[in-house]
Amino acid sequence: MLGFLQKVSNYTKDAISAANYLAQGLSVTFDHMRRRPITVQYPYEKLIPSERYRGRIHYEFDKCIACEVCVRVCPINLPVVDWVMNKETKKKELRNYSIDFGACIFCGNCVEYCPTNCLSMTEEYELSAFDRHSLNYDNVALGRLPTSVTTDPSVKALKELAYLPKGIMDPHEVKANAKRTGDLPKNILKAIKKPSTSQQLSDNTIIDDKQ
Amino acid sequence: MNSGLDLELSFNQAMQGFGISSDIAHILWLPLPMLLVLIAAVVGVLVTVWLERKISAAAQQRIGPEYAGALGILQPMADGLKLLVKEDIIPARADGLLFTLGPILVLVPVILSWLIVPFGQNLLISNVGIGIFLWIALSSIQPIGLLMSGYASNNKYSLLGGLRAAAQSISYEIPLALSVLAVVMMSNSLSTVDIVAQQNNAGFLSWNVWRQPVGFVIFWICALAECERLPFDLPEAEEELVAGYQTEYAGMKFALFYLAGYINLVLSALLVSVLYLGGWGFPIPVNLLASWIGQSPDSALIQVFTGAAGIVMTILKAYLLVFLAILLRWTTPRVRIDQLLDLGWKFLLPISLVNLLVTACLKLAFPIAFGG
Repeated sequence: MLGFLQKVSNYTKDAISAANYLAQGLSVTFDHMRRRPITVQYPYEKLIPSERYRGRIHYEFDKCIACEVCVRVCPINLPVVDWVMNKETKKKELRNYSIDFGACIFCGNCVEYCPTNCLSMTEEYELSAFDRHSLNYDNVALGRLPTSVTTDPSVKALKELAYLPKGIMDPHEVKANAKRTGDLPKNILKAIKKPSTSQQLSDNTIIDDKQ
Repeated sequence: MNSGLDLELSFNQAMQGFGISSDIAHILWLPLPMLLVLIAAVVGVLVTVWLERKISAAAQQRIGPEYAGALGILQPMADGLKLLVKEDIIPARADGLLFTLGPILVLVPVILSWLIVPFGQNLLISNVGIGIFLWIALSSIQPIGLLMSGYASNNKYSLLGGLRAAAQSISYEIPLALSVLAVVMMSNSLSTVDIVAQQNNAGFLSWNVWRQPVGFVIFWICALAECERLPFDLPEAEEELVAGYQTEYAGMKFALFYLAGYINLVLSALLVSVLYLGGWGFPIPVNLLASWIGQSPDSALIQVFTGAAGIVMTILKAYLLVFLAILLRWTTPRVRIDQLLDLGWKFLLPISLVNLLVTACLKLAFPIAFGG
């Protein structure tokens, strides 16, 4: 009899705790009701990619010395460097260069190691195509600059969450050309070095970053 | 108790004023409420589909339908229209007759059940004496249709889905019926009108939910299971069964399932409000309000107000429950089939039996509070 009562009481406790958890879950779901949507209406609105965004790779044919470092550092040896040795000048003559973005993982190793800085990463990410072979970009296609989101008249540019002022969650509330939050790394470094004058240093003009 | 607005009587008298006999007036009257309920059910579904999508979006910080009409209000219409013009496919080796009959058998009992939903003292199609029993009986037809369509599709997913739907419907119908029985015992009537009328003596204090809290919870769980709403949507669990018994359906036949599901949800919500939340009753008795502002409860203005408040209250309560169902959808994970049957047979059934017994005891002990 006591065992049975014990069972009943355990069962009741289980049921009550289950109901409790259910209520907790419901309160969480209900709480989400007051959170505003963070939707970006994509084809009409686009986020401004961050400065360090690793998008489609840009390539400058004239700077390239056909050293093939990009091929060696690439995880899958993707860049195709088509060159011939000019016997007379004893120099490499570059004929063609291509990267297949259908296979590229945008790790940026080639950009990192390129000795002449002829490779760079753009903010372009719209690489969908009807035919995957059309993603194999040759040096002409690689040399094209992408349209910037901020200059495209058909697109409303929105700032990413990290670039919004403190306390604002919705990029629609901020103008796209408004000052970015926080300080430039250069100014932060200055402020750390000279703590006494740090209060005045918060100009956000673009300072060219020659190291 | 005054009878309140009686549209049929007024219509009948108006027709007799035109020199039409009472019988013909009755025949003329008949299609009106039928049409009205059909429209109400379909509009209710459109609103529910829109609400479901919008509330789901809000729960996930999305926007939801936006472009079809203001705030996407026309989206369900667009969906329906799309389904209407889609090709009607019957799979090559399916059983054509059963395949067609399935969705009809699912939809018809649900629409028929609207017969007994009261929006006011006389605002229902027919005050059947066995009202709530009729609903339970009708809802038992549904699993046959589900099983039929699952079997006729000639597809293993459909068959599994159909079997699950049948098992689920049958096992949850019993606790459902038992919890209804407890309410029926308290109100001494199977008629939905009597059940509501009995709850409206003292506003929201006399609602059945205070006297039948356990029954209320059981009924709501079972109603969700009957509608195949999310914690219990195994028959169409898309991750495992593609779409269950709906897998092979397209176009209008799929639309029938879709419609039946949502009409059933609205109907269940309406019945919960009828059985437990005082149906058309205003939270504060209208008669009391009338006496506060010095009006006779029989005056025409108060009559119209009572009628309007009845409809608004019934719909408001029902849609609050629909909102709860949608919240539950995004809160609870789907149960497994064994957990589902465990819950039904080992938990809900004994508890609803105990609930029934306790109600019977309380009825004998306190006949005033529990309808002696």
